[in-house]
Amino acid sequence: MFDAKQFINESIQLIREKIKGKALIACSGGVDSTVAAVLVDKAIGKNLVALHVDTGLMRKNESQQVKKLLEDLGLNNRFVDASERFFNALKGIIDPEKKRKIIGELFIRIFEEVAEEEEVEHLVQGTIAPDWIESGDQLRDTIKSHHNVGGLPKDIKVKIVEPLRDLYKDEVRAVARELKIPIAERQPFPGPGLAVRIIGEVTREKAEIAREACYIVENEIEKAARSGLMELPWQYFAVLLPLKTVGVHGDQRAYGYTIAVRAIQSIDGMSGAYSKIPHEVLDRIATRITNTLGDKVTRVVYDITNKPPATIEWE
Amino acid sequence: MVKIYVIDNGGQWTHREWRVLKYLGVETRILPNTTPYDDLVKNDIDGIVLSGGAPRIGLKDNLGRCGEYLENADFPILGICAGHQFIARFFGGKVEPAEIPEFGKVGLIIDKEHELFHGIPKKSVAWVSHNDEVTIVPESFDVLAHSDACKVQAMAHEKNPIFGLQFHPEVEHTEYGMQVFKNFVDICKK
Repeated sequence: MFDAKQFINESIQLIREKIKGKALIACSGGVDSTVAAVLVDKAIGKNLVALHVDTGLMRKNESQQVKKLLEDLGLNNRFVDASERFFNALKGIIDPEKKRKIIGELFIRIFEEVAEEEEVEHLVQGTIAPDWIESGDQLRDTIKSHHNVGGLPKDIKVKIVEPLRDLYKDEVRAVARELKIPIAERQPFPGPGLAVRIIGEVTREKAEIAREACYIVENEIEKAARSGLMELPWQYFAVLLPLKTVGVHGDQRAYGYTIAVRAIQSIDGMSGAYSKIPHEVLDRIATRITNTLGDKVTRVVYDITNKPPATIEWE
Repeated sequence: MVKIYVIDNGGQWTHREWRVLKYLGVETRILPNTTPYDDLVKNDIDGIVLSGGAPRIGLKDNLGRCGEYLENADFPILGICAGHQFIARFFGGKVEPAEIPEFGKVGLIIDKEHELFHGIPKKSVAWVSHNDEVTIVPESFDVLAHSDACKVQAMAHEKNPIFGLQFHPEVEHTEYGMQVFKNFVDICKK
């Protein structure tokens, strides 16, 4: 089995050997990057700068929560609001792989700017096994370019360090528990954020819809799990489809987008079975999404495909 | 410690195979399928797993140097997905595009008792992901299991410890996947 204690000791040693001087970590506030940040902090202390970038594509109130988390963990942290840059860069982009590459490159450019100011040579990333597996290589097909691997530009000025490269999420969680990190059980959220949950072009308006819908799905499913109606899935969220359909709101025609609800059971994200959510919970989700989002969303559907054949996120 | 290496044919789940072996206390590494046989056996290994690979690789390509391993090995070999299909072709069988490709969940039905399936019920859930399948089983092999859409979910050589699995025992969702690996590790220990 996996020995989290041993892993922590070994990786602190390895990090000390690899990183001389200062380092920057890109911290989304998810389990992977937070665990990587705490490990590197243990290895090199205040020589680590933990940077959080608000892409405008984070979930509801997420960036504020991440900022607080980094402070609570006692990390030397910095915060950059780059939402304008991300929305501009994504204007008119529909192809999911292009989206991921644009986001990957923009992240790196922002990291490089901060790295220069902070005079650091090393960039730490919370990359885990599925990120590089699915990004593809000489031997492996590209399923999707994870922004931190396949989305990286070729010309990078910083040296990349990835202490969690051989771990899967369940193992990262075991490390997080051992390190007493409060968000050890947080569900995965992709690096490109809501951009890959908005099918088609990403705009500020669509980001608002996807953000609210994701919030409702998370909130209702967590409530249902707490009251024993269902098990908490591995991942659960909303996807905004560019498909408009007809509704009837107060005897008037409405014409709005479609939200797909996705919930899946897995331990490592490499295979998955869709969650058998009770109908009463699906019912609550659909009603609340359509009532909250008014004529913007006229239809809610549930995704019942396993992985494979589908992937967990839609893009 | 028993030493079983994973030969990487470019599968999505190659690293999962490594993980399952590691969890079973096996000394393991992932090696590219271009590793020469002589370099492979220098490590004094007790067995190898031939991983799956990118779409259609099992259909015609050489699958790196897997042929060399099958020709020379005196240790057990477990082929998974594309690895399994390559074993079939190597021993004179045939692999063709499946009439019904299978992705995700299937019912696995064991047809023949075998030490690889020790402790596994006749019917269980397995996870698959394949476009192609073994359509003609080599003469020296027995079919061990099937699913609704795929006649050859598992096969074993009559005499030598060479096995092929179309399904993926390394993924979490295959009900008795860990048990299959345990059995393979036991075979390698002999």
